[in-house]
Parts: sequence; C-alpha cells; structure tokens
Amino acid sequence: MSRASKHALPGAQLADRNLRFGWWSLLVFLSLGAVLETLHGFKIGWYVDVGNETRRLMFTLAHAHGTLLALVNIAAGLTARFVERFALRSSVSIALIWAAILLPAGFFLGGIVIYDGDPGLGVWLVPIGAALLFYGIARIALDLSRRNQGR
Amino acid sequence: MRKLSRSWWQGLFVIATVAATIVVTLISLRDFQREVVPPENRPIQSQIAGYVSSNACRACHPGNYASWHASFHRTMTQVATPQCLPPDMDKLELAFNGREYKAERRGDKFFVRTRPESGSYGEPQQVVLVTGSHNLQILWLDTGEGRTLQQFPFGYIVAEKMWAPVTETFLIPPNVKEYYSTGAWNGACMDCHVTQGQSRFVAGNKWDSQVAEFGIACEACHSEGREHMERNRNPFRRFKIHLTTKSDPTVTNPASLKGLESGLACGQCHSVWAFNGMADKIEFNRHGAAFRPGAGDLSQRFVVQPNAPDHTEQKDFIRRTEPDFFHNRFWGDGMIRVTGREFNGVQASPCFRGGEFSCISCHEMHLDSPGQTDAKTWARTAQLKPKMDSDSACLQCHKDMTARLVAHTHHSAESSGSRCYNCHMPRTTFGLLRAMRSHQVSSPNVHESIAYGRPNACNLCHLDQTLGWAAQHLHAWYNQPVPELSEDDRTIAAAVQWILKGDAGQRALIAWGIGWESAQKIAGRDWLYPYLIYTLTDSYAAVRFDAWKSLRTLPGFSDFSFTYTAPDQTLGEAATRAYKKWLGEVRNVNAVYRRETAIDSDGRVRQDVFQRLRSARDEKPIFLAE
Repeated sequence: MSRASKHALPGAQLADRNLRFGWWSLLVFLSLGAVLETLHGFKIGWYVDVGNETRRLMFTLAHAHGTLLALVNIAAGLTARFVERFALRSSVSIALIWAAILLPAGFFLGGIVIYDGDPGLGVWLVPIGAALLFYGIARIALDLSRRNQGR
Repeated sequence: MRKLSRSWWQGLFVIATVAATIVVTLISLRDFQREVVPPENRPIQSQIAGYVSSNACRACHPGNYASWHASFHRTMTQVATPQCLPPDMDKLELAFNGREYKAERRGDKFFVRTRPESGSYGEPQQVVLVTGSHNLQILWLDTGEGRTLQQFPFGYIVAEKMWAPVTETFLIPPNVKEYYSTGAWNGACMDCHVTQGQSRFVAGNKWDSQVAEFGIACEACHSEGREHMERNRNPFRRFKIHLTTKSDPTVTNPASLKGLESGLACGQCHSVWAFNGMADKIEFNRHGAAFRPGAGDLSQRFVVQPNAPDHTEQKDFIRRTEPDFFHNRFWGDGMIRVTGREFNGVQASPCFRGGEFSCISCHEMHLDSPGQTDAKTWARTAQLKPKMDSDSACLQCHKDMTARLVAHTHHSAESSGSRCYNCHMPRTTFGLLRAMRSHQVSSPNVHESIAYGRPNACNLCHLDQTLGWAAQHLHAWYNQPVPELSEDDRTIAAAVQWILKGDAGQRALIAWGIGWESAQKIAGRDWLYPYLIYTLTDSYAAVRFDAWKSLRTLPGFSDFSFTYTAPDQTLGEAATRAYKKWLGEVRNVNAVYRRETAIDSDGRVRQDVFQRLRSARDEKPIFLAE
C-alpha cells in the first residue's frame, strides 16, 4: 500500500498518470524508431558509418529503452487499476516515470557527441534512471507479494 | 509402479537440459582449444611485450579500426587462406629457371611441389603466408625447418592478373634468377611487413619467428597498447581525457605529432634504414624494434641519408661491405630513387626543415578529414587526405602561390605544367613495376639530369624536347645557370637519350613516363611507338613491362598482348608483330616528327642516331632495392 501524504495523489490518479505517461511516451519513442529507420533508409553517415557505431548503439538503446519503459509504465498503471488491494506508491509512480525519461534520454544524449567507442557525457543519466527503475520495479514486486501474504 | 508426478518430470527435464548444455559447452571448449594450438611450420602471432593486437583496439575505436581494416597496411602480410591467395591457386602450374612448380589444394590449405630439371616432384610445401594484396602478392612456403620460410619464386601481379617470376617484378639485372634465399623473410622482410616482429634466430638457417600481429596494425603506429587498454578500463579516466584537451600519455597518436616524431612513425619502415651496429641488429632480431612511435630516432637503427653528416662510421662500413648499396637506392646527389622509402625524400625536403611538415601533411591513416571519400577509394589512392592529389597539398603552406600561379609556373593555369606535383615531385622513384612520385620536394633543373642521370620534371613531360631546351627555359624563367651540354643534349630529345642509352633505372622511368597522358598530350604520340616497341625487347623485365603498359595507352595498341617474361626469341617476335602492326595499321602517315625525336619523316627511327645512342648505353647492372 502506498503511504499517505498530504501531497500524494489518490491511487487511481497515480495509475492514470502512469498510464497517460506510458502511452505518450510510447508514441514519442515509436516516433524515434521511425526517425532511426529514416536515417538507415537514407544511409546518413552521421548515424550509419562504422565510425559512428557508438552513436548508432546509443540511439538504438534510447529507442529500445524508451519503448520498453513506456510499456512498463502502462503495465504499472494497469496493474494498479485491476489488481485488487494494490495501489501504486507515489514514489514508485514518480520513479517509473523518471526512469522512463532518464534512461532513454541518457542514451540519446550520449549518442549526440561520441568519443570513438565512448558515448558522450549524457550517458551518466543512465545509471540514475536505472536506479529509479530498479527501485520502482522492486517496490511493485514487493508490494504485490505482501498483498498476497496479508490475505 | 508408482506414477511419477508432473513436477518430477519437469525437474528431470531441467536437469537433463542443464547437463546437455554443460556437455556441449565442454566439447566446444575442447575444439576451441585445439584450434588455437599454434602451427609449427610458420611464424606465429604471440604475446609480445605490451602488444595486444588490433582486436583489443576495435572495441573502443570502431571507426579507426574500420578504416585501418580497409587499408592495405592490414593485408601487408596475411596467413595464407583461400580468401587472400590469388584466384585459381589450385590449378597453378608454372616453370622458371629449369624448375617446374605445381600447386594443389587440400581443404583450405595450399601446397606447392617442385620438380627440378630432369627430376621428379618433391614433397609438398605448404603456402603459409602471403605478402601484399593490391599490387603484388608474394607467397611464402614452409621449409620443415621450424618457422623458417622460403619464397615461392613467382609473384602475382594483381592488376594484370598474372604470375611472374619474382625477380622479374623488381628492377633486377637479368642474370639474377633468384633473389630471396631461404630464411630471408625471417631475417629481413618481417622487419617491416608485420607488427613488432621478432625474427628469433635459432641456428644454421632455422628461425623461430613470432609477431605481435601479421600486417601493419594499430600498434605499429600507436605503440604497444596494453597499458593504454588497462588504464582506460576506468570510465572516469576516459571521460577526463575526452573532456580535456590533454592527450593520453599511455598511447602515441602520430596524427597529433609534427615533423620528425610524426614522420618516423611512418619512416620506421618507409625509409632506407640500417642498424647502428651488430649488437643492435642481434637485439632487434631477438626482441623486435626498440623504437616506439613518437620517438625522435629509430633507436637501434638510423635513416640512411647518403649526404647527411650523421652515422659516417656506419655508412662507411656499408660502402665497404656492400659497394652498390647507395647506387641501388639513391641518385648520385643522395635523392632516394626507390619507392616505399618515402621518408628519405620527406626528410630531405626543404619543407621538412620548418619542423611541421611530415607524411601526415598530405596523407591520413584513418578517414578523419571531413569530405573524405569512401574507404576503398581512399585506400587505393595512397590514403591521401581530401584534395591532397591536387595543388591544395602545397597551397596549405605556400598560400601566396594561388595569386601568382601563372607568373610562377610560366604555364597556363589549367596546364599540367601548373600543377605543383608535376614540377616539384616528378616521378623519379621506381618500384612495384612503375614510376612513382619523388617525395623529396625539389625544383626541376637540368643539372640533376646531366650530373646524376635523374630525369628532370621538364623533360618528363616535354618528352620531345632536349635538355638544352629545358635548360634555356629554366635560365630564362628562374635564372638557373645553364650547365655544360653535349651536342646530343642540345639536339636529341632527352627522353630519346634516356630510353636508348640510359641505365636500366632511367629506361624504366621513361618507359613508364611515355604512358603518362599529360606527357603524351604535350609531346605528341606519333613518335613514341618505335621507341616503346623497341623497348619491348629490353634486357630488364621491369623495363619491358612498362614499355608494354605504355604502348597499350597509345591508339591502336590498347589490346596488344605481350608476355614480358617470355624468352628473348618470343620477345623479339612480339616486337616484330607490334612494329608491323604500327607500320601497316596504326601509323599516322600525315604525322610530322620533330627533328629532336630522331624520327624520319616516314616515321622510322634515324638509324645513325639510334645505333650511336644504343651502343653508348649504360650497361652497369642496376638492382633497385625497393
């Protein structure tokens, strides 16, 4: 169960927020996928040249993580809506949203400027996003488990 | 019997799957270990000092790895595989110097059997290494003596798709039939054709040669990479370097060096070099080069510049022990005359004295420059930077020349005579069966031709003009003194003199130079046929090859077939065939021949001039040790 606080949104609203965010995020990162396909289609050297392999990897990771985390947010929202005696904690809702922002953004920014096999500074956002994601997923798993134990 | 539960079966399935996976992994591991047992009949790649090989560099430098991979440095020496050997190797049957050779394929391995005159085929020798990939490929055979190699006496000329005796792919006196002895690869070739080679002499003619990597790989130019690799596992260190302008002290980047330090990264191989002494030679052969890119000297070795004041003792020793050493590599004034040794020219250039100029002023080893072409083209055009095949190369420094180009060159701006390279880097070096540009930047003068026999830039283009004509123009335009000239120098075209009475080195340069389109446009084509046709019978194979190649650039002869390695009688028959074709089918009956070309109005060579010049030919044996 999420802890109550005076700033916290009700559980249903939190679930709605993650659902809304998830679907919009999915739209953004699917669009990014289309952009990447276009770069491939026109063989844009800045993206496809062997020397830009790191950029291509970073952008691909940004696309993949963004899409996947959008689905995680949707899954979290649906779980909170349809699983009885379970509600998203506010911190979990926030963590999942920021993970879905920081992880792909880190990869994306890391691919803008690259140093041979190293991505740019932006990639340092990735571990922060990863930590938030880990917290959010772990918290949901724990809360779902405790819900069953308390039955 | 008790019925087993479903979960029991599931557990059994998981255990069986895990067990099968372990067994398969162990089998794969055993096969993998069996494959990495190094062969004992050839030099091998091994762990040498701090060298880690290009595979280790690839992960962090994919772009640079890719451009290096596209370059011919990588394929300088390769382990022989069907992919890197010439096509149809298994059908190869050749004969040379009284011996017959037959190749055969077993799986992915190739073997050669040799039959001496009036004998039978001997034991097969495996083709283990290949040198070269885009000009000439030379194969190396195992000998049964450790890792000692023996040269297969034929080389494959890639452009012509033909095999030729190796001795006939160099400018070598015709009486020399075999040049590389058994063990020569181990004792000499591997000094430069691999990355950090160790010849490792054992005894007699037995070697245990090992290399850090076959071919010229990353660490040849950037120095050994272990420390660089290990210290840069730390991402914080890497980002500190990325975000500052400091270079990484654990690795050398020749592209950020200038002058001597930069040039020696290339010059460690692309120069005529010699050992400081026997102890250095032994040390070099045992442990590999002590030189590391970035250093200002070659450590155990030195770049041999005949006229420089350094290493006089060593150069005197060379003169005593190998009297033709300098003659076979340098013109009389010390300018390098063989290809592959470009750093000698670069170092002797006036541009080099400024301390900035080096190989990378015009070339780049990776596709770094904006606007660079595709990797394949770049590799095939000497890894030049963009536009460096034009005046832009010189205008990087000589910026003022753009405004006064015509005043300086006395040629129209679009003319080949206004191209910097043609006057200041003419094709006076020879190797790989062709003339190549000198890398010693110089100004054309007739004295170099009179005193040292080196064709000057003016007459390499104005083939139909005399040395006297060139001297007068150089005097009028640049106030150069007119050297003392013979009657022939004033009346006979320089190219005619060189191709008839020049030494083999001069003849080769002119035989190639006649095929140069710019020269043909300036000097005309009609008078060139008889000289090239005659040169098809030259005693030097390399000269014949270039005469044939140039003849094919002339109208009517583009498909003329000729085997430049054929016996003398066949060569004579081919020349007769060519002459008849020219006289009967190709000759322009309306052509007007300048008197200096020594061609009569009917298109035939003036016999008095021909005989006189031919009998005065410089027959001193020449071996251009490229």
